[in-house]
Amino acid sequence: MSHIHIDVENLIYAYEKDHQVLKDISFFAEEHDAIGVVGANGAGKSTLLKLLVGLDLNFKGSIRVEEIPLEKETLGKIRERMGYVFQDSEAQLFMTTVEEDVAFAPRNYGLSEGEVEKRVTYALEKVHIEHLRKKPIYKMSGGEKKLASIATILSMTPDIILMDEPSVALDPKNRRNLINILNEFDHLKIIASHDLDFIMDTCNRVILLDGGEIVESGSTDEILKNEELLEMHGLELPLSLYRK
Amino acid sequence: MSKFNQAIYEIQNLDTISKEDKWVNHIHPLIKLFLTVYYIGLVVSFQKYDLEGLCGMCIYPIFVFIIGELSWKEAIYRLRIVLPLVCIVGILNPFFDTNSIAEIGGIAISGGVVSMVTLMIKGIFCILAGYLLIATTSIEEICYGLRKIHIPKIMVTQILLIYRYIFLLLWETKRITQAYALRAPGQKGIHIKAWGPLVGQLLLRSMDRAQEVYESMCIRGFQGEFFIRKRNEKVKGEFIYFIAFLIILLICRIYPIFEVIGGFFL
Ligand SMILES: Nc1ncnc2c1ncn2[C@@H]1O[C@H](COP(=O)(O)OP(=O)(O)O)[C@@H](O)[C@H]1O
Ligand SMILES: [Mg+2]
Repeated sequence: MSHIHIDVENLIYAYEKDHQVLKDISFFAEEHDAIGVVGANGAGKSTLLKLLVGLDLNFKGSIRVEEIPLEKETLGKIRERMGYVFQDSEAQLFMTTVEEDVAFAPRNYGLSEGEVEKRVTYALEKVHIEHLRKKPIYKMSGGEKKLASIATILSMTPDIILMDEPSVALDPKNRRNLINILNEFDHLKIIASHDLDFIMDTCNRVILLDGGEIVESGSTDEILKNEELLEMHGLELPLSLYRK
Repeated sequence: MSKFNQAIYEIQNLDTISKEDKWVNHIHPLIKLFLTVYYIGLVVSFQKYDLEGLCGMCIYPIFVFIIGELSWKEAIYRLRIVLPLVCIVGILNPFFDTNSIAEIGGIAISGGVVSMVTLMIKGIFCILAGYLLIATTSIEEICYGLRKIHIPKIMVTQILLIYRYIFLLLWETKRITQAYALRAPGQKGIHIKAWGPLVGQLLLRSMDRAQEVYESMCIRGFQGEFFIRKRNEKVKGEFIYFIAFLIILLICRIYPIFEVIGGFFL
């Protein structure tokens, strides 16, 4: 397998004409990187992630994944390597049971039934929800749904995981659990969130967005401990720093 | 409110039964699909006075209920809204068609009554056949079957999405009406003035959700093909099941089976 990385150059995007939501975004992410994309509401975090998985190809600039440019023709190939976890797990899960949903991707990629079975078990074990295997999705709690939606991605054994606001709607225990799961996954992760404590616990690098622009990027410590910088862009110091 | 919840649960539950591990659930979806269509075709083709012959067609639903270990009670309960509608269809026939065509215990039975009952039973059989298909076959399997007979990708994907969309619409309706009820305490139902905006909201929101579901499928490798759980081997006897029902149903269509059986005892 080649060296995993994402290379974004001069990315510009607008939902509606003459209102740019992303303005000239460039960054480089490497294998083993855990990048936190932070910023206030409406900064463009979700939009950036959606573009990275190719949910909209009408952008200017370039996105390359392992040197393959993200285009219509390469979309299938790139998506095989990437897992994207939606902010709203309910929207992500659409099959009847957890098992069926987790098996959806491996089946689509044409794996044998034995292999699909293994992948499902692997993914469920990773997020510690083997006991929910047969459970109907509509009977699960918010936290369980979040874990299940992560499992649906892990069953693809992706090299890159993208997550949008993963900590929203999780109780402290599930949140801790999720942090551990993410830290165990040692490929490339990009996590969008305004929950800076969560980013503190999971990321080594941070990109700070405001109004669709990268206003700062650097190590997690550098950025998340800079109170002045954060406040200037509508954020606050992570709570854990206050306690110390 | 809870009535609504109940309704959604019931439908989704049906989705769960269809994934159970019984012999019928494992039969190739194409066989079930074809038999259902075939059965409905035969049922509909009966003459309007041919009540006797039509009754023979009950063999199929009875058999599937038994081998699928499905509950009659549950089926009737689930279909309680649809069944009366089907029964209403022929209700005017007795008034238009008053020729007496038979006599039971000295009471003349008019053609209208017979045709009404025939029509009702036709409707019930058709609905039961549909129910049995859904209760034993998941939507993915049905879509897979449709693809196998070369129905275009785009149409099959539409069917699947509409099916998913119904649930989204239901859940979204639930959410919106709940939010409304919380802010309009003590009010029964929804005030007519609020309908417009609520329906608008509902459409926009469920369209968003539908879009997300489609995206969720795409990012997990969906490209219009359906892949269902591959059976390790062909289910034993599924082909015999298929052929047997093709023949049995055809026989029932041609000969009034009860009359023939009854004839043996007379
Ligand atoms: N579907 C959409 N259509 C039009 N504008 C949108 C849409 N989604 C988001 N936006 C706009 O794009 C900007 C960035 O949104 P988003 O990426 O969701 O921000 P974040 O995730 O950082 O809160 C916001 O100004 C938002 O109003
Ligand atoms: Mg967002």
